Amino acid sequence: MLVLTLKKEWLESKREGRTLWLSRIVLMLLACALLSSWHSFQQVQSQKQQVETSERERWLAQGKKGPHSAAHYGVYIIKPDTGLSVLEPGLTDYQGVVLRLEAHKKNDTLFRGIQDSIQMQRFGNLTPAFILQTLLPLLIILLGFHSIAAERESGTLKQLLANGLCPKKFFTAKVLALFGLALLFFIPVALYIVYSLLFSDSITVQRSVLFIVSYGLYIFIWAILTLIVSSYARAARSALITLLVIWSLTCLLLPKFAINNAAKQHPIQSSQIFQSKLESEIYTPARQQAIAKFKQDTLTEYGVDNIDELPFAWSGAQLQFGEQYADTIFDRLFGQRQLQLEAQSLHYQSAAILSPFIAVQTLSMSAAATDLAHHQLFSNAGEKHRRLIQATLNGDLKDNGLTIRSSDKSYQGDRHLWEIIPQFFYQYPDIGQLTSHYRRAAICLIIWFITLILLSYFAIKRIRNEGQQ
Amino acid sequence: MNLLICLCEIKNLLRERLLWLLIIITLFLSSLASYNGYQWLVTQNMVIKNAQNEQQQAIATAKKGLEKRLSLSKPINWWDDPYDLRGQAFYLMINYATKPPLPSATIAIGQSDVQPNFFKMLVTNKQSFINQYEVVHPLILLLGKFDLAFLIIYVLPLLLISISFNALAQEKQSGQLRILMLQGLSPLRLLFNQLIIRASIIILPLLLISVTTLLQFSNGISLLAVSMFICLILAYAAFWLALTAFVISYGKTSAYNAAVLVISWLGLVIIVPALLNTVIVTVNTAPSRIEYVDMLRDKSDNVDKSSSKVMAEFFQDHPELANKTLTNKVTGELDTNYSTKKIAKIVVLEKAMLPYDDAFQTVLMAQQRRAEQFSYLSPATILQNALFNLSGNGLIRHQHFIEQVMLHHKALRYFYQQSILIAHQRGDFNPCEGCIAHVTLADLSKVPKFIYQEQRSSTPISGVVVLLLFSGVFIFKASSRLSEMNRSQGGNIVA
Repeated sequence: MLVLTLKKEWLESKREGRTLWLSRIVLMLLACALLSSWHSFQQVQSQKQQVETSERERWLAQGKKGPHSAAHYGVYIIKPDTGLSVLEPGLTDYQGVVLRLEAHKKNDTLFRGIQDSIQMQRFGNLTPAFILQTLLPLLIILLGFHSIAAERESGTLKQLLANGLCPKKFFTAKVLALFGLALLFFIPVALYIVYSLLFSDSITVQRSVLFIVSYGLYIFIWAILTLIVSSYARAARSALITLLVIWSLTCLLLPKFAINNAAKQHPIQSSQIFQSKLESEIYTPARQQAIAKFKQDTLTEYGVDNIDELPFAWSGAQLQFGEQYADTIFDRLFGQRQLQLEAQSLHYQSAAILSPFIAVQTLSMSAAATDLAHHQLFSNAGEKHRRLIQATLNGDLKDNGLTIRSSDKSYQGDRHLWEIIPQFFYQYPDIGQLTSHYRRAAICLIIWFITLILLSYFAIKRIRNEGQQ
Repeated sequence: MNLLICLCEIKNLLRERLLWLLIIITLFLSSLASYNGYQWLVTQNMVIKNAQNEQQQAIATAKKGLEKRLSLSKPINWWDDPYDLRGQAFYLMINYATKPPLPSATIAIGQSDVQPNFFKMLVTNKQSFINQYEVVHPLILLLGKFDLAFLIIYVLPLLLISISFNALAQEKQSGQLRILMLQGLSPLRLLFNQLIIRASIIILPLLLISVTTLLQFSNGISLLAVSMFICLILAYAAFWLALTAFVISYGKTSAYNAAVLVISWLGLVIIVPALLNTVIVTVNTAPSRIEYVDMLRDKSDNVDKSSSKVMAEFFQDHPELANKTLTNKVTGELDTNYSTKKIAKIVVLEKAMLPYDDAFQTVLMAQQRRAEQFSYLSPATILQNALFNLSGNGLIRHQHFIEQVMLHHKALRYFYQQSILIAHQRGDFNPCEGCIAHVTLADLSKVPKFIYQEQRSSTPISGVVVLLLFSGVFIFKASSRLSEMNRSQGGNIVA
């Protein structure tokens, strides 16, 4: 029975020229998007590697100079990508990829792709994720909206039921057929994941599983939702309209409303106010007083009256104190902003209860490490590295700053000092450690799945009633 | 006859619950989109006002504290001294370049959420400030805001399709069409009247809300901008209605029509623009920003390492400054101070980076030109282009702003380099051993201010014309099919 229905569905889909053409177009777009994304990924990775190497060489070969000059010289670090970003570029273009680490300043990442793009970019890029999240549900709707409704309209449903058709098997077969058909579009993506798992280390198994399971559930949700609506609708026309309304709401409107509402609920200050606040809170008379107190405490601790009598270079100690003073303000102000942004992300995820698109988008970006949470992890790691650089350089100045005083030249560090500072290397943590960032979305997707399974019981009941009328 | 058809259509529509639902949805979405646009305008104005206030405040504070500073005798760090030209130039200056939004900005948020509308200026290389941006949740940028442009480009066609895809179907199913045709009524006339009545149900509330909001809340908006906005909506709606008529003229079932129209919407509003964008970006690939960083570092290093060469190059380009520079009596070389050297390095670095900066600009402009050429492939891209330009939140106006920012950046640098050299000549920075530097910038209001010069923008009339042309073609095709049906009277559609 099941096999027969599956065969029939397959034949009908083949006969349906309109949807067959659309399927071909979508599949072709997916293949093109995948190839273009992969090509661009390869190019960017090679550029990143090259620039990271030359940046390290530059740092090591900067020559003799004062450690504080080296601190101002700073380093540029580049955000790493995972292989899944080929499929899901997520927020990559909307967050910078390069971070400058320098003395006295905590910078935001630089060079957001969107700033170098034309206005047509706002229509979106044809990426595999865009096709799977937005176009595939629409294709599922077009493939399946008439599946049961048309049988009812033409009267064949009653005939089938009169011939002893089991509504449960009938419905299950329809769902499986549509799900199977939709899964065909996932094959190129799955092949890419398998290939990357086997031949490259840019993808981890955990992240791939999260990615595949999320999309598997998402596709199933749209397949079963389409057939539930189709089994309830009196005519194929009303099934199509209902499904299109659901699609426009969940894929187009709700995500927009949800994130803008999140920004209203958890507002952040404009950059202009934020930067002014940052400067006005660091360079204050309180800072001067704190430095003066630190100086007095140090003199007392060493039992001397003058900084020249200290057994170390005061400039190094003072610079490090200034760094630590600024760090507490950075932690507070950037921390507040980060908390608000995280609250916005969670608020947005809550809307996944109304939109499976939001759920799958969140999970997909988490798996591909192209969401805000991963960006912040990278920024935090960069800041940690910046503080390490400052502490090392200031510590060196403090310890060795007095050594060349007699020759009337200020102390200078050399390659040995630059080598002490390790090259920045960042790898995203296992996705299992980041569950708090996407748990809400995962729960919502599961709720969608369970709810639709339960609703399918009523859909089957409705089909059964059709036969009894 | 037309009036009779319209009255009959209104009567039929009033019976359907869908009608009221669609009116409510249109009113709600139009109000929300207009409100969001207005809120965005308020936010943008507030940011600019805050920046201007901060700048004024800095001038006033400096004026107030001048006396106290003049009475100081103990030396202070020049980089902490707001009355020192060097401190102001490199660290303390509060000077903003701002782009005020147009009154029509409520129509489309456009690129204004990703392109900054203000820059905080300092005498530094342009690479240090030109990449400033407003930090928001990046999802807001990815998904965009729900503004009038989004409502019109994406939602309006769906609303029009949902109300008009089954035009002519009821008459056909009930057999009324055949009777009407026998009485001399052409299906063409019936269909067009139905479409106009149905479209009015969506378009009138949309126009009512959006135009009222524009006139009420967008202070200073010109009537030309409002008229253009109305024309664009009507032309875009005409396109979708003409397409609907064309699809209906094939005489298939209403479910089939709905599916075809939705696929058309998907293709024209979602796939074609995204595909076009991907193709344009792939064909005219922008240089890599990662490699740009590499280049910037290399050039910076070169400038730092060859200080004397940099100074020579700088004074070659600025002989007027070389004349003002003191000559060391012992070495005979130009006695340049730290600040002049710093400015010289900035100038030389910017010059060295010019080809790389230009490369981005050239590619961006080439992409934009190509996008404009190919925008005629989709009504959505035509309309987006027109609405973004009308609202002043498109790429062209932003580029114009950037050009002015660069001029201001140069003006500031020139002001400081001249003033610093004069102060240096006078010995104001180091009047005597262990003395406090003289006040070299007593009045901050003398520092050049940025005033945005609005560029005359072109009216997006070509967008309207092209949309109407496409509509004309579809209407012509639909008319031919329906006239043929009318002539045969017993065609498939009637049977």
